[in-house]
Amino acid sequence: MKGISRKLFSILSIIMLLLLAACGGNNTGSETNTNEGSSNKDGVVSAKFGVIAYLTGAGAAYGEAITNGLKLAQKDINALGEVNIELVIEDSAGKADQALNASQKIMSDDSITAIIGPTLSTEIFAVAPEADLNGIPIMGTSTTVDGIPEIGDYVFRNAVPESLAIPAAIEKAVERTGAKKVALIYGNDDALTKGGFDVMERTVKEMGLEITTIETYQDGQSDYNAQLTKIKNTNPDLILASALYNEGAVIMDQARKMGIDIPFVGGNGFNSPQAIEIAGDAANGLIVATPYFGESTDPKIVKFNEDYEAEFGKKPDQFAAQAYDGLFIYADALKRAGSADREAFREALAETKDLEGILGKFSFDEVGDVIMNVTVLEIKDGKFIEFE
Amino acid sequence: MLGEILNTYYLQIGSFILINIMLAISVYVPLSSGQLSLGSAGFMGVGAYTSALLTIHFDLPIVIGIIAGALAASILGVIVGIPSLRLSGVYLAIATLGLGEVIRVIFVNWDTLTKGSVGLTGIPQLGREILEFARGLGFEPAMIGIKNNQFVFLSIFIVLLTLVIVILWFVVRQQNSRVGRALSSINQDDKAAESMGINITYYKVISFTQGAFFAGLAGALFAHVIGYISPADFSYHRAVEVLIFTVFGGSEVIIGSVFGAFFLTLMPEVLRFVSEFRYIIYGILLIVLMAVRPQGILDANLLKKIKIKRSKGGVR
Amino acid sequence: MLLEQIINGITLGSIYAIIALGFTLVFGVLGIINMAHGEIFMVGAFVGVTTTGVLGWPLWMAFIAAIVVTSILGYLLERFTLRPLRGKKGVSHLAPLISTIGVSILLENLSHHIFGAGNKPFNTPFSEISINIGSITVYLVQIVIFVISILLMIGLTVWLSKTKAGKALRATADNLETASILGVDTKKIIILTVVVASAIGGIAGILVGMAFNSVSPQMGLSMGLKGLAIIILGGMGNVKGAMVGGLILGLSETMLVAYGDSGYRDAIAFIMIIVILLLRPQGIFGSKVSQERR
Repeated sequence: MKGISRKLFSILSIIMLLLLAACGGNNTGSETNTNEGSSNKDGVVSAKFGVIAYLTGAGAAYGEAITNGLKLAQKDINALGEVNIELVIEDSAGKADQALNASQKIMSDDSITAIIGPTLSTEIFAVAPEADLNGIPIMGTSTTVDGIPEIGDYVFRNAVPESLAIPAAIEKAVERTGAKKVALIYGNDDALTKGGFDVMERTVKEMGLEITTIETYQDGQSDYNAQLTKIKNTNPDLILASALYNEGAVIMDQARKMGIDIPFVGGNGFNSPQAIEIAGDAANGLIVATPYFGESTDPKIVKFNEDYEAEFGKKPDQFAAQAYDGLFIYADALKRAGSADREAFREALAETKDLEGILGKFSFDEVGDVIMNVTVLEIKDGKFIEFE
Repeated sequence: MLGEILNTYYLQIGSFILINIMLAISVYVPLSSGQLSLGSAGFMGVGAYTSALLTIHFDLPIVIGIIAGALAASILGVIVGIPSLRLSGVYLAIATLGLGEVIRVIFVNWDTLTKGSVGLTGIPQLGREILEFARGLGFEPAMIGIKNNQFVFLSIFIVLLTLVIVILWFVVRQQNSRVGRALSSINQDDKAAESMGINITYYKVISFTQGAFFAGLAGALFAHVIGYISPADFSYHRAVEVLIFTVFGGSEVIIGSVFGAFFLTLMPEVLRFVSEFRYIIYGILLIVLMAVRPQGILDANLLKKIKIKRSKGGVR
Repeated sequence: MLLEQIINGITLGSIYAIIALGFTLVFGVLGIINMAHGEIFMVGAFVGVTTTGVLGWPLWMAFIAAIVVTSILGYLLERFTLRPLRGKKGVSHLAPLISTIGVSILLENLSHHIFGAGNKPFNTPFSEISINIGSITVYLVQIVIFVISILLMIGLTVWLSKTKAGKALRATADNLETASILGVDTKKIIILTVVVASAIGGIAGILVGMAFNSVSPQMGLSMGLKGLAIIILGGMGNVKGAMVGGLILGLSETMLVAYGDSGYRDAIAFIMIIVILLLRPQGIFGSKVSQERR
């Protein structure tokens, strides 16, 4: 018995020692940081923002687009010289607990003014209540599921929620094709696509359309033939697919091979030039609503696309564009707040109104959700064009 | 004074380390009777969802939710445990892995109850409830010079630490009792054990169920520490991760589980600066470790050596 | 619709079967579950994407390239993760499981870095060829996959029962020490097993790429788990069992989607193995003996 308790004691004391040592170490670090934190060099307000992004694992492509968008925005903002922004990027690996760890790391650094991220809705559901409690503003640039800004006063997003994008796309698609019967397919083990599906189902019911069948697929599957064969046999006029572009493009490819030629309507996650790259001609007929139109002739978008491609060697997508605009929203709030203080920053951020970004005019509503216009796009001849 | 030392980030990691230690023990206990269970993620999910749903929908106190969660997991453990005992080695491992996946798929599909993959939000958070309770007694964190959120994390940490100590004490006590000796004899050779008059079914179910209980407990606590759960938290990856805690640290001794969970939970945090490569490093680490030290970092021999060294030092 | 779904099911089932063959071969000889097999399959698919898509090679060369690369991977896997564990005293039977899990994590994340996280299209003119029978479209790829899976099964069975190497392999599978005393170069046989299993995985990778036109670093895991379920279903270490088990799983998944709830598709493999383990732990085709030897 004596040996046991000694063993236990020694382990626990090691844990405690390590924790204490770690605490001590960090404290000195954050003190020096605070001194630099909000110092005004040449009257320019500077601030540090924490970024939590999904950088390793299955969805790393999204985190990469977002951090790239942020990095580009940081470069452009600092070049303008009105404010000076520093980014502290942490990986969440797409997991709620690691996102929470990352957020605690950021929150316990007093020199950091606000958080951007995390990438997934499932992560922000865990992180946002904590951020709200600690009084640090947090804004998701890619978290589109319903009910996120409602978590608290400090929680914002500039990602266009599915409840804004999907109904717009469905309405326009139905208007043009005169569709009466729709089939639904969605990834049921992913929060984003499940959230999108809920909106789709609601919209379809509100519009009084007939649902021929509802099919699901799971993460990591690459064979959708069984689901598509079933859909094909129910003869719908339109397929609503709440899928991320990775899976969505493959679904379209397999559908076209099977002889399903009707249009697809997708959610936020489906809108990416990558969809065309993966599915080729099979992507024709995809209808999505989005704030970001990559082929737009708008000079701001053209410049953004060029800069992004020059910097990172690939075309940007919606996630990159929203992250880019997101940092500009932060920069604008920082400028108006005039200091890197979290409270002042939050107040300025909440007042954001009609800010001209590359994606158009942006405002927050009273809970911190998005007010902006979306464009409905379709893929035709291997290109996104505006849907008329 | 205290307020300056306590860093919530480290307390948070400390809390996850403690939860992971519980999970590692939940694999270690069945393993000590020769049963490899990969169902820990499933049992953890059952514990987490049970407790979360009870506290959200019926406003039950967290304590009751957590106990109910752990019990639900252990009841499932008994139900699954009895028929599974005919299986051994990799067969049991794959059957329990399958069980975990089936449980996850049920969480995903049982929309009306679990909200599917969107997950459950607004689960009462353990620390905040403790804070409210403490306030009810007229205690304010400021009285000992710490901020509210520091108190929240400190209280979680202390609760978890206490639980882990109790569990460790229990497992170690059990190991040195009749039950423990029966389990280890089953582990060595179950036929010989049976011929000695040990009721192997009984003891196997006991150790399997204990594993399910600890996993369920850890799951329930996980739900109330994070405040949000979704089926993705209880996937195959989690089961493998937990198994690795135990095997990496050393599956022969309980300290191995504790060390494995501690080290491997801390490592991704320490390796944040190379975050892009950390899973690659993780993979290489496992390969190298198994090649060099397949029984895990800690084993009985090493512990003996450490002990001898220490006692020598003591004499001097 | 039934006929179309049966074709879908057979295609999927044949792919599952080919993957399960790789698992079953390694398990049959070494008694090890190779958790990295799914990832080796994924690498094979990526080799196909790179050679046909980026380098513009013809399809047959892509097959050869995939076989070569996955064989090398198989050798490395044996040399650096399995061999060090063999014959050591006090090695838990879990060690190879963990160590191959390490390999799978490594390969998956390496592919992330090299190829990116997204899906890659696998465009070959070959996969566009189709035959119309009435209202049903059958793609040539689907037929090829089925034929290849049958050929592989027959080939493996003949190889194991008729050739010298195959006999040595079975002897090694029965008892490593005895085989070695009888003059079988067991070290070589083990390398051969792992290499052949990996090469089969590589072939499966290309076939999946062609059939479904999608290749991603995550595809290994879900296929790997299915393969694992199949070898339990068909009996561990049993070639025929892997084939039949694969077809059963492919067909039942497809039928579940066609006539049931597609949400439970991933569960069906595991529900099946739980049931089979409780009723007939040695699998449909397994013999009692193989269950005793872990």
